[in-house]
Amino acid sequence: MHINYKLQDRFDLAIFLPVVGLIILGLLAIYSSTLNHPTASGNFQKQVIFVVISLIVFFITFSLPLQSFKKFAILLYCISIFFLIAVLAVGKTVYGAKSWFGVGGFGFQPSELAKLGTILMLSYWLTYKNRDINNFKDIGVALLIGTLPVLLIMLEPDMGTSIVFLIITISLVFWSGISLFGLFVVLSPGIVALASILGTYAFIACLLLVVAVLFFFKRDLFNSITIFIVNLSAGFFFDYIYKILKPHQQKRITSFLDPLADPLGAGYNALQAKVAIGSGGFWGKGFLSGNQTQLRFIPEQWTDFIYCVIGEEFGFIGSIIVISLFLIIFLRLFKLSAIAKDKFSVLVTIGVLTLLFSHFALNIGMNVGITPVIGLPLPFLSYGGSFQLINMVMIGIVLNIYRNRKLHT
Amino acid sequence: MNDNYFGSLSRRRIVFIVFIGFFAVCFAQLFYMQILQQPIYSVKSDENSVKPIYQLAPRGIFFDRNHQVLVGNKPSFTLRITPSTYDKNLSPYLEAILGMSSGYIDKILKLNQSYSKFLPRKIAKDVSFKVIAWYEENSSKLPGVDYVMETQRDYSFGINGSHMFGYTKEIPHEVYQKRKNEYDIGDEIGFGGIEKTYEDYLRGAKGIKYMLVDAKQKTIGRYEDGNEDRATIKGDDLILTIDKDAQRVAEEAFKDKRGAIVAIEPSTGEILAFLSAPHYNLEDFSKVTSNEVWRELNTNPERPMFNRASMSTFAPGSTYKMISAIAALEEGIIDSNYRITCGGGYQFGDRYFKCLHVHGSVDVETSIEKSCNTFYYSLVNKLGLELWSKYSKKFGFGSKTKIDIPEESGGIVPSTEYYNRVYGRNGWTKGFVISLGIGQGELNVTPLQLAQYAALLGNYGKAARPHFLKSYIDTKSNERYNVKPQYYDIGISRKSFDIVRRAMFLVVNGAGTATNIKMPDISIAGKTGTAQNPHGKEHSVFVGFAPYDNPKIAIAVIVENAGFGSTAAAPLARDVIKAYLQKGKKDEVKNLGPLPQQTEVSNAH
Repeated sequence: MHINYKLQDRFDLAIFLPVVGLIILGLLAIYSSTLNHPTASGNFQKQVIFVVISLIVFFITFSLPLQSFKKFAILLYCISIFFLIAVLAVGKTVYGAKSWFGVGGFGFQPSELAKLGTILMLSYWLTYKNRDINNFKDIGVALLIGTLPVLLIMLEPDMGTSIVFLIITISLVFWSGISLFGLFVVLSPGIVALASILGTYAFIACLLLVVAVLFFFKRDLFNSITIFIVNLSAGFFFDYIYKILKPHQQKRITSFLDPLADPLGAGYNALQAKVAIGSGGFWGKGFLSGNQTQLRFIPEQWTDFIYCVIGEEFGFIGSIIVISLFLIIFLRLFKLSAIAKDKFSVLVTIGVLTLLFSHFALNIGMNVGITPVIGLPLPFLSYGGSFQLINMVMIGIVLNIYRNRKLHT
Repeated sequence: MNDNYFGSLSRRRIVFIVFIGFFAVCFAQLFYMQILQQPIYSVKSDENSVKPIYQLAPRGIFFDRNHQVLVGNKPSFTLRITPSTYDKNLSPYLEAILGMSSGYIDKILKLNQSYSKFLPRKIAKDVSFKVIAWYEENSSKLPGVDYVMETQRDYSFGINGSHMFGYTKEIPHEVYQKRKNEYDIGDEIGFGGIEKTYEDYLRGAKGIKYMLVDAKQKTIGRYEDGNEDRATIKGDDLILTIDKDAQRVAEEAFKDKRGAIVAIEPSTGEILAFLSAPHYNLEDFSKVTSNEVWRELNTNPERPMFNRASMSTFAPGSTYKMISAIAALEEGIIDSNYRITCGGGYQFGDRYFKCLHVHGSVDVETSIEKSCNTFYYSLVNKLGLELWSKYSKKFGFGSKTKIDIPEESGGIVPSTEYYNRVYGRNGWTKGFVISLGIGQGELNVTPLQLAQYAALLGNYGKAARPHFLKSYIDTKSNERYNVKPQYYDIGISRKSFDIVRRAMFLVVNGAGTATNIKMPDISIAGKTGTAQNPHGKEHSVFVGFAPYDNPKIAIAVIVENAGFGSTAAAPLARDVIKAYLQKGKKDEVKNLGPLPQQTEVSNAH
């Protein structure tokens, strides 16, 4: 027991074992949904290779000195932005979005790398020396760091992933202690800008709301007027930019704003997913025996709809096990954020937690029919090489933070 | 209370509540769906599943330049088998009814074994109505067998055109792997000729019908009353540059011959007729093509699948003499008064190159009119290999014309470099060059290149890239988009052209080698040729254009193993020219009916 205790002291099994459990459940579900499939039957073998590579990279990340993540933050962020721009120029189109680089037989998604780059860079910026989170300049730069990838990913267009980036940015700023007023100043121009595209009425309604909130906060007149003008010009500026865009680019933004108008029949997929999960019952229909899965009523089930394979074939028990494993990981990460060594480590932990949670919530929510259909994969379970790899790198980083939580530098 | 600090306690609480709250909602929803509502969903899953049925879009139709149908579509029945419910003992009955050899169905099922058992396989296309009637009567005894209505190509419009049209077939595995996002297994894809080049226009978009089916895949109704269905979009129709009458005359003329005809409108590059003989029957490809048909097509010594018009290469013989004449005139090596004496041949070193006659004193005009070889042996010697090959390349020889079908060869124009590469630096002599002057030797050209050469001669060096697509009709907007020809000018003086064109006029209308095709009302200019053939009797070649003053058609004809150019090739060229030009006069009064609104596009592919 002594040895075990020492291991647990340096390596948080309560995070690692649930992750391994989820990966194994994911492999089973991928196997089931691609068995006999005319085109995807090789995906199981590919995913096994991805998992092995990811585990190796995980241990490397885990063993690196903690300081190195801070050092690499800027470089990694710049590389990510470069790739995001490059993919718009030369990327290949998968499911209507330009988000992949083709390398040999495998694809690489730069937005996955950007997740890592953005979390590290934001954490680095927000915790550098005596940063004042309510200082306009500091908060402005933080927002720039967070929204640049959002804009680039929006153009691909990959709505789900840009939403995840937005959530990460807001939660890190939130965690850094921004005041409610500050949060309002940060969020309002974005909301007004989006409203300006939806039409004049939405735009005016939003502006009136801004005025009402400004009255509520009762700041001095000069500041309030400045904030109002910033909002007003954000709306006009965005509208102007929107109008000079080419029609197909405009269409990307409107389809971004209206996720339910999915041309590939999102309503159909969501309905089939619910039928698959619901018909699973308490024990499930058994491995390889779900007729919804085996008759392939849901296209590409091994990516965004992997959860309904579990729901159908392993039933209520299987579904609860999956969300419980996720809950354990989230609670452990949450606890780690309280005991981590420095502010940078805390923010990185919160960033990883937010990333995993937003993927988890939007994906499971879509599968069980409580959130809109937004295409996002489920961490550790869904098929995909770069997705699996980056998630394991994130776990490597947080376990590294855990390992170093008591050390002093 | 101030909680505006890093990682404040109240903020931790908010986050914690979000986690637990979301988990609780998920738990409740799963409990509701999988425990409380399970019976309802179970029924839905077993009896009420939605299945998308894909409906193939009819391909776009081919029209000729006068809006006459060249290739159409017709409905046909396709019989299918779904292995998951099919009983193999039925195979002998089905094979007997469909007239297939025993074991055929088993073979097809084995071939597609790797695909899911639940996917239907196409067993027979273009099944007769009688068989469908029989199926309808007995369908209850035929589990796993069904049929679908599809459209297939209809080639019953009086012309063949196999080599330019190309065909469609089920998408091969390698192509499918590359275009997974656009195609499904079993989809038809253009596989040669125009069908391939303009695939993206022709294919249209599949429709989807959502049907309610039970676990045994039996249809029990429409999903959402068909409101979620997507309509099929027919492919865009193509208006080709082909003239149906000229094409028909060309095909008639080549019924029992081998060779090729290409006719082009000189000012626009529009291909009026395009034929390679013998051809094959496109009808054979619109069914599930049987092995016997393939074997027959591939082993036939006449090679019907080979596109002679744009892929076969040969030495063009005397039809090539105008190149040397124009090069020498342009470079100032000769003028129209320059004369030599033909004594029946030309001595070069220790070799004697023969002429067909003793022509006596010959100027450049007569040299073309009477096709004097001696004149050109000596001329190419003066000109030199480099200049000769420079002018050959100006006229487009030695490289592809970039016509809009994938099957094309570039041919060979020998140069110093070429000979050095093939024979080594000292392995060849200047004697090699002498025979190039009369279009023999290692020069290799395609009929298409010759037709474009005729177009350039006819139109004073100004032409456009040869092409088949005149315009297309966008199905969605019903608008007609005209393809703008890609014009170019090879930059040769009108003076040189005047001399050479005049000589070509005399070939037919003076005392030349093709006076047999002289016509009272149409003035044809041309040049005959005889292409040496190492494998047998010489090929008969003719290039020309008409009318002489204002050419509307340029043409190249090759008849394989038919001897002199004037006897075989020239009369065929005349027939096609006549069919095109004389009909043109009649047609001006004919009303073609309203065409869709027109828009210009610069390049369609």
